[in-house]
Amino acid sequence: MVQIGSGRVSRSVGRRAVLASVAVFAAGALGLAGCSEPAAPGSGEGTASSEASGEVTLYTSEPQAKIDEIISAFNEEQPGIEVKVFRAGTGDLKARIEAEKTTGGVAADILLAADVPTFEDYKDQNLFQEFQPSETDALSDVAIDPDGFYVGTRIIPTVIAYNTTEITEPPTSWAELTEPEYADRIILPNPDVSGAAAFNAAAWSLQPDLGEEWIEQLGANNPQVAESNGPVSQAVAEGSRPVGIVVDYLVRDLAAQGSPIAVSYPSEGVPYITQPGAVFADAPNPEAAKLFLDFLVSKKGQEIAVDQSYLPVREDAGSPEGAPALADIALFDQDLEAIAASRDDAVAAFNAAVR
Amino acid sequence: MTLPLRLALWASLAGVMVLPLALVVSLGLGANHLPELIDQGLLTATANSLVSSLLSAVGAVIIGTLMAFLLDRTDLPGRGALRLLLLTPLFIPPFIGAIAWSGLLTDGGLLDRLFGFAPWNFYGGPGVIFLLTLHAYPMAYFVVAAALRRIPAELEEASRLSGARTTRTHLDVTLPLIRPAMAAAFTLTFVSGIGDFGIPVIVGLPAGYETLSTMVYRFLESGSVVSPLQTVSQIGVVLLLIGVLGTLLDRQVTKGSVEFGGTGRPAAPQALGRSRLPLAVVAWTVSVLVTLAPLVGLAVRALLPAPGVPLTLETATLDNFRRALTASTTIDGVTNSVVLALGAALVCGVLGLLVGLFTTRLAGRDREPLLMSVLLPQAVPGLVIATGWLILGRYTGLFNTRWVILGAYVTAFTAIVVQTVRGPLAGIHSSMEEAARIGGAKALRSRIDTSVRMALPAAGIGSVMVAVTAVRELTLSVLLVAPGTQTLGVVIFQYQRAGDYNASSALSVVLMAVGLLVLAAFGARYTRPDTGSDAPSGRIRA
Repeated sequence: MVQIGSGRVSRSVGRRAVLASVAVFAAGALGLAGCSEPAAPGSGEGTASSEASGEVTLYTSEPQAKIDEIISAFNEEQPGIEVKVFRAGTGDLKARIEAEKTTGGVAADILLAADVPTFEDYKDQNLFQEFQPSETDALSDVAIDPDGFYVGTRIIPTVIAYNTTEITEPPTSWAELTEPEYADRIILPNPDVSGAAAFNAAAWSLQPDLGEEWIEQLGANNPQVAESNGPVSQAVAEGSRPVGIVVDYLVRDLAAQGSPIAVSYPSEGVPYITQPGAVFADAPNPEAAKLFLDFLVSKKGQEIAVDQSYLPVREDAGSPEGAPALADIALFDQDLEAIAASRDDAVAAFNAAVR
Repeated sequence: MTLPLRLALWASLAGVMVLPLALVVSLGLGANHLPELIDQGLLTATANSLVSSLLSAVGAVIIGTLMAFLLDRTDLPGRGALRLLLLTPLFIPPFIGAIAWSGLLTDGGLLDRLFGFAPWNFYGGPGVIFLLTLHAYPMAYFVVAAALRRIPAELEEASRLSGARTTRTHLDVTLPLIRPAMAAAFTLTFVSGIGDFGIPVIVGLPAGYETLSTMVYRFLESGSVVSPLQTVSQIGVVLLLIGVLGTLLDRQVTKGSVEFGGTGRPAAPQALGRSRLPLAVVAWTVSVLVTLAPLVGLAVRALLPAPGVPLTLETATLDNFRRALTASTTIDGVTNSVVLALGAALVCGVLGLLVGLFTTRLAGRDREPLLMSVLLPQAVPGLVIATGWLILGRYTGLFNTRWVILGAYVTAFTAIVVQTVRGPLAGIHSSMEEAARIGGAKALRSRIDTSVRMALPAAGIGSVMVAVTAVRELTLSVLLVAPGTQTLGVVIFQYQRAGDYNASSALSVVLMAVGLLVLAAFGARYTRPDTGSDAPSGRIRA
């Protein structure tokens, strides 16, 4: 009898044994048959504390390095609070929240991700508790929720990025991207994963001069769909796809590190999101969570944002290097309710067009 | 004394091995999500999974067999070193390999940057097949080489004496004798290909090439279905069936194996004659390529300050290493992975040793089910095991803790220890135990004092293998992580997914360097021809 080197399954095991083992598994399976989707455990295990200390859990789509930097600055002011981060794409975070919500409660304190329509949706589902930042007056209007549940933390426009060694005359409008010279040269993020991309799909389709027709023409140019904004900016910088549709701060980040990449703000204007932050209704440590959000929109917090290439939500924090002043950027006039209402359909249409 | 221990062993196996898989099956059969699954592309994903694993398994067996002949039966110069170099893909987690090769070959990769052309923009099916083959052929080699070494020299000599030439002898005598081993290698690599997650997610998905494992991940992570766990369990049942069928088929094919008589003296290496030099050049080129190329591909990205910057002595920086290694998530990831790996090594070591003891030295009708319950999970893709623990975690409240990850590791990796201890345990002469019995020891005591002690070194090696596998694992933990429980593999994967290739490459270089050191330290003793049967060719999941 050959003993095969792997020894993975001894050859001496007979068919009866196989049947017996299958029976063991089958019995186990049958014994449990008919059970339904199990519930996630309740999240209310942590004891709510009114003191500004202990642990807070943050769900965010911020890049890891950036959020680490913010937390260490926050800890200089609040050494007693330990911030635990769970970083993932907005789509992943939503799936996680959805799963936890239906089976118990969200196991986090803070959500810092995505766009206003997502937060409005969660607000309507009573997932958040009220929160007013302490320096509301200093903040830009687009950052403020009139109902007082969340606060915008940075302004993130989506722009055209291009590789400066490959492209000498950059496209200056969204419309230009549908021209044949950009066939097979464009890369953009997956709206199933990136919250900003999902938002943009709706924003573009609601824009009278672009609309779904533009999305279809863009799709005809066979763009590559990357997982999220990060890989898009990488591909543009490396030159594998010289033109990208991507959030602006990543481009400034890479350019500052020396990558041959630059931003073009399209003439039709740009869609933007505000990366809001809110405190979950079931937050185990709401006081600490609110302190963290307050820090994010404080002058110090916004200066860090500017250092990290973000456009800030308050004027006294300055502007990132190489970025035009916010007033000089043509922003889409965004009807957030319409975007919220049409987003799922827009994403579906977008996927159908570009894939 | 034996009975309580046996019961305890069965109870723990039922909880750790049977229950998670049974949960997947029961939940999967609970409702019908097939129409939805088909709508989401189940058929394409199944076809992609089957085709990529089939082709890569065929490729791996061909390469592995050629390698076994060349390295174990010829006078190729530098065979020992070649063997070590060619085995490196086994010690590089597949997802790291995917990151590395894409940094080398594709648009914007190293070759593109140096020479202005990308030899192969391999995103999509072909790239997945290439990488799966690359990471599977060392396993195929282990299996085939072990069989090759067991063929007594007399058989081939007889053929040659009868006037057959070398090629004829190989085709008519040797090949039929190793055919069962080739079949076993095929199933092993096929099942491992079906279960792989790292390669299709990094190389396949960007081009829209979805496999069953990336589909499972998509359903669980970007919630586009209503009851993701149940839907995923249904895919799990399909994968489970493929795994079980593979194992049964394997058994059928290898049934006709024969016991060799003769002296067991291995055949003398064959002189390659005129083809010795060209073959040596080819073998050395390939082996240096598979070892160095991914390392270089990673190193370049790891040393670049930013993508698109030309790499020169002035621009090269260690900043990515500093940044990636000091990030708090990385530190958490390393801590978690080390703790989990040590925990898994301990639990798998004890469980594996006990299963080995009960299935070799102690009589009992449950020998074979006991063995199967430990070895079957090895034929099951990692994502199915992870799904089982996800469900179990929800029921037991272990969800969001490290314990679910540890549990999944034990399910997946105990087999490694069982494989390493069974050989030595079975080989110990019963006179030792009898001596202990005569000395007055009870049945179990006599075994523990003799056989178990003698098998301890093997169990130790098995545990080290478990730890090494677990510490850079991705497939299982990617579905089970929660805030604060990220593993090192997941941290690297997240960097890669977020587009921070410089950081993911820097961490990968470190991980790969550690892997190669381990290979140098432990691997060498397994790659010597004389230790064939104990070769740790257990599937490495990552």
